Amino acid sequence: MSWRRIFGHRFVAVPLAVAFLVAGWNIYIAFNNGGIIEGEVRDRAGAPVPGATVIFFERNFIYYQELRRTTTDASGAFRFDGMQVHVGQLEARTEDGSHSERRQLRLWFRAQDTEVAPLIVATPRG
Amino acid sequence: MRRAPSWPRHAIMVVVSFLMLVPFYWVLKTSLTGENIYAFPPHIVPIDPHLFHYVDVWYLIPFPRYLLNSVIVTTMAICGNLLFNTAAGYALTKQFPGRRWVVLLFLSCMLIPFQATIIPAYLITSWLGVLNSYLGIALPLLSTIICIFIFKASFEAVPRSLIDAARVDGLSEWRIIVRIMLPLSKSAIATNVILTFIWSWNAFLWPLIVIRTPEMQTLPLGLARFLSVMEDTTGALFAFVVMVLIPGLTIFLMAQKEFIRGLTSGATKG
Amino acid sequence: MTSWYQRKRTRELALVACFLAPALTIFFLYRLLPLGWNGLLSFQSWSPLKAATWIGVDHYEEMLLDDDVFWDALANTLIFIGCAPIAIALALAIALLVNSDLKGAAIYRTIVFLSYPLMTVAVGIIWRWLYDERGGFFNYVLRSSGVIDQPVKFLQSFDWALPCVIAADFWQVLGFYMIILLTGLQSIPQHLYEAARVDGVPAGARFWRITLPLLRPSIFLCIVVGILNSFTSFDLVYVMTNGGPGHATELLITYIYKVGFGQSRFDYAAALTVVQFLLLVVLTMLANSLSGGNAGSLER
Repeated sequence: MSWRRIFGHRFVAVPLAVAFLVAGWNIYIAFNNGGIIEGEVRDRAGAPVPGATVIFFERNFIYYQELRRTTTDASGAFRFDGMQVHVGQLEARTEDGSHSERRQLRLWFRAQDTEVAPLIVATPRG
Repeated sequence: MRRAPSWPRHAIMVVVSFLMLVPFYWVLKTSLTGENIYAFPPHIVPIDPHLFHYVDVWYLIPFPRYLLNSVIVTTMAICGNLLFNTAAGYALTKQFPGRRWVVLLFLSCMLIPFQATIIPAYLITSWLGVLNSYLGIALPLLSTIICIFIFKASFEAVPRSLIDAARVDGLSEWRIIVRIMLPLSKSAIATNVILTFIWSWNAFLWPLIVIRTPEMQTLPLGLARFLSVMEDTTGALFAFVVMVLIPGLTIFLMAQKEFIRGLTSGATKG
Repeated sequence: MTSWYQRKRTRELALVACFLAPALTIFFLYRLLPLGWNGLLSFQSWSPLKAATWIGVDHYEEMLLDDDVFWDALANTLIFIGCAPIAIALALAIALLVNSDLKGAAIYRTIVFLSYPLMTVAVGIIWRWLYDERGGFFNYVLRSSGVIDQPVKFLQSFDWALPCVIAADFWQVLGFYMIILLTGLQSIPQHLYEAARVDGVPAGARFWRITLPLLRPSIFLCIVVGILNSFTSFDLVYVMTNGGPGHATELLITYIYKVGFGQSRFDYAAALTVVQFLLLVVLTMLANSLSGGNAGSLER
């Protein structure tokens, strides 16, 4: 029986196609699952805000609580490492009490590396 | 020969097809929508569609666990079926005293629906000690009578000359089955596999009775449990439904011919 | 020579027994033994904690005289079965349409049959959502077209719950009936129709005199499937209404499950199962005699 007849048959082609898709997806996951979430905090004028606290909230069917927090560096950038989550919310807060909106974060798989759009904080800038 | 115009029939069939497909579409659109699904009026096209409900279902149900359980039970059922039905079908092609009674026995077992046996079947399974285990779920599914008769018919169609030649060559009975009869019965094997797959994949009442812990639940049980345990306003439940239906639909569409042949072989007597 | 033949024969019999053993064991364990045990259990008072005692027909007395839920379940099951002919007639119409030389008949056939291999639990959830007052399809259509003002709680109404469950079941089982009837239609020899046309027999009479009688075996099979369907609809009822408002959608099988595994009254549930099985046997024999005996087959 020729190879074409074996592989062209639906009982072989369909499972093989599914297996390839699954394998390909898992390889992609393996290369991108450092759990890195990075972004910046800016104020309304667009200037970076150093020293702001960024909080990551975990929310699912069962609970809604803070998971981790970090502070932005001198250029207003923040970074979470090793986050084993696929859904959550980010919020930035500054020392003078202003905070950004809660940004919903949804990932395609657990611990996906992702970069979020800047979190906007209303800071009175002298 | 003048045929009646075909457009009225097409029109009726289109309406029928639409009615048959509406449930699929309604659930699909609900699983994709980003809004509160209980708001009235529901939108025909999903607002703010996203696929993240599927991600939620995968991690939080836990879908992989239920999928694994279903796959294990189904694989056990398919392997058991292929083994036992082939053997029984081959044995029935031979002449032996009491053959008529055995055939009659099988036919009468076909008349006993599974639902008439659930209480004692539960007691027997618990007496055997396989309650809440993969074997316990798969045990009643390990053989089906329709498939035995399908194999019997298929084996009887093999020319006697081939079998006799194999006997002269000194092959043992099991070798005869594997080397000669099975390769000629590919459609019977495919029919058996697809029928067993559908019946064991979709089985709900028996796993409901036998399974006692959440980790051993199969997909249908997980679906029913989600319904009763989680109450939320997103399309997550319907994403779960779609994810559960995809394997069944894929395999059905792949093996449609064999499935239909298996179902209708019960329609032809014997 | 004789002893060699005898030894060979014995070996062959041993082999047959060996090959038949696994399948026979399974059917004995899970079909025959339970049937007998059900009968036995129905006459006993038994619980997992104490030994069995013979109490005769007490369970049946309780069932027939004291148990209202049993009579509700029985009535609902009979209604369920009674609606099967409607589904069969619809399926016959679709089968006739699909069987005529219609382009794309295979696609129509696949679409109608698509719902049958699905998980019945999933079908139940799909239809439960379709009937929902807020996000459901039916309420949306009815309210948008102005037929009603307030949403109708289909699955919580005493009158509508059972028809709604039956409609959901129709959706799933229509494809199966259609396939059986299609197979029957395709086995009718074409020359009968040709001869009738040549003789000038009108289309309606062709249907009633040729098609319908030759479809008797298929229709009988559909009726048997319809009867069994009311027993296997456990999944649908469990997920959609779990017996319904009150016991409006309680079927015999759901009641047996509740009594046996909810209340742990195995002996009473066994008695109910015996009654259910007897109902199945009686209805099948009735269908058999109505379709002319011999399982509707065409040989005399």
